Amino acid sequence: MNDARQARPIIQVNDLHHVYLRGTPLETVALKGVTIEICAGESVGIIGRTGAGKSTIVQHFNGLIRPRQAGKVIIDGQDMSDPSVKVKAIREKIGLVFQHPEQQLFERLVGDDIAFGPKKLGLLREERRERVMWEMEMVGLDFERFKDRFTFSLSGGEMRKVAIAGVLALHPKVLILDESTTGVDPRGRKDLLARLLDLHQHQGITLIFVSPNMEEVASMVDRVYVVDDGRTVMSGPTREIFNRPEELRQYGLGVPQVTTVAHRLRERGLPISRIPLTVAEAEEDIWKILNS
Amino acid sequence: MEDFEFLRNVTIGQYFAGDSIVHRIDPRTKITVLMILAIVNGFITSYTGNAIIMAICTVYVIVSGISLWFILSGVKPALPIIIIYSLMQLLFFGEAYAPYGLATKVYFEWGIVTISNGSLQLVVVTLLRFLEILFLASLLTATTTTTDIAHGVEGMLKPFQRIGVPAHEISLIGTIALRFVPIFAEQLEIIMKAQASRGADFGGGGIFQFVKTTRQMVTLIVPLFVDAFRRAEDLILAMEARCYVGGKGRTHMSRFRMLSADYIIMGANLVFAVLILVFRNAFPV
Repeated sequence: MNDARQARPIIQVNDLHHVYLRGTPLETVALKGVTIEICAGESVGIIGRTGAGKSTIVQHFNGLIRPRQAGKVIIDGQDMSDPSVKVKAIREKIGLVFQHPEQQLFERLVGDDIAFGPKKLGLLREERRERVMWEMEMVGLDFERFKDRFTFSLSGGEMRKVAIAGVLALHPKVLILDESTTGVDPRGRKDLLARLLDLHQHQGITLIFVSPNMEEVASMVDRVYVVDDGRTVMSGPTREIFNRPEELRQYGLGVPQVTTVAHRLRERGLPISRIPLTVAEAEEDIWKILNS
Repeated sequence: MEDFEFLRNVTIGQYFAGDSIVHRIDPRTKITVLMILAIVNGFITSYTGNAIIMAICTVYVIVSGISLWFILSGVKPALPIIIIYSLMQLLFFGEAYAPYGLATKVYFEWGIVTISNGSLQLVVVTLLRFLEILFLASLLTATTTTTDIAHGVEGMLKPFQRIGVPAHEISLIGTIALRFVPIFAEQLEIIMKAQASRGADFGGGGIFQFVKTTRQMVTLIVPLFVDAFRRAEDLILAMEARCYVGGKGRTHMSRFRMLSADYIIMGANLVFAVLILVFRNAFPV
């Protein structure tokens, strides 16, 4: 509890509703009551089946969608329904990476593309260069080797790293990844996730992670929100959420494979005390039981 | 406040399922009627004539059950251009154009600015014509699925196949183009949101800061083109993988049959068109 008092909520969403294309024949209800609170320095996952409203939620976090209907969104102390809020300043603090972020690249050279954000912030040439260097290293692209490559000649995984670096170049306090790792090869994905986790643990960046892959969520975040049909239906520490597989199944979700294995082992009488979330944890637990 | 909902503005090309008579008649009938009325629209320059056509178009829309406001909202993105255009015509056209059978009357004159009954009529009639065409085109795409339109066009072009018109290919190109309009609108929305997320700001430049606006556009147009080419390539692959051959010998799941109602509708519109064309100079204004 001491922790919670120290941490300042950076994102507060209260009973948020949203309707797309309101007032047209194509009107669709996306959110029907979402409540989320995320503190600075946390890593939080948002999971839910396709069409549950995850993307709509995270687009509220950086002001791409403003709460015009019912509900409140407060980002870093500012009420987003207030039209005088400077959205650009919010977007500088909250970085959002979309699904297939490589589709947003437009500059001819990799370095120029990453420098787009810093340029918009009005940074000087030297500062921009420094940021580009730093971000490229952050995502694992060699500065000298990649800065003058043609953007559109890169591989899909490299393009994605460039796109993520482009968002990181704004030096956001919060980084939101909206299914940004789908479609990357397993090794590239692992590498990227490790770097993001490093960013979270060592730079103190707040991580919000939206992914259909439960293994990824389990390995990345401390806390999880489950969204179904436009509502937040479950929330809690990752281990606690994945300890309720029946409920998750009801919302069209599963648990990491290794967690399923642990549940089965427990059913058969193996005394597993905590539910493992990663293979490494499971290995540790099983050794412990075998040795005792 | 920024708004990224582009689908709101794309009214042409959007299909709405329904069961009105406009939905049920043969696509060939609809296309024919659209063409007849579009031709008439091109010839009629009088207030009365355009008011009549406008009324007919409005009745068609109401009968179809499609929201009139929804179709009108399609004008919104083009509004600045329409206003500038109209003002130019109104103020600077002078006496160069005189309505048929009427003496030129000048309402207002100051320097190079001249407002005459001719320029006023030109502006009003141009706006009406624009709205008529918008109504008709939106109505066709709102009540007819793209495949139906394609089959309709193909059926109508069939007779010309003998002289080498590639009927099937033309209809296919048309279908693909129409089908991709909402997809690209959606894609544009995503790209715009992604660029905004990394510091780009759109709008806010004002209408007269062309250079700034154009520069903002580059960040959207390049990714949009890249995406369009990628989609086109995917489509080609998908079609080739299924051994797609169009045209000759191909059968269709749904076949269209012209009913007597179709001929009556077509005939009625044709009679109306001939009448209004013959008597187009008989209207007082």
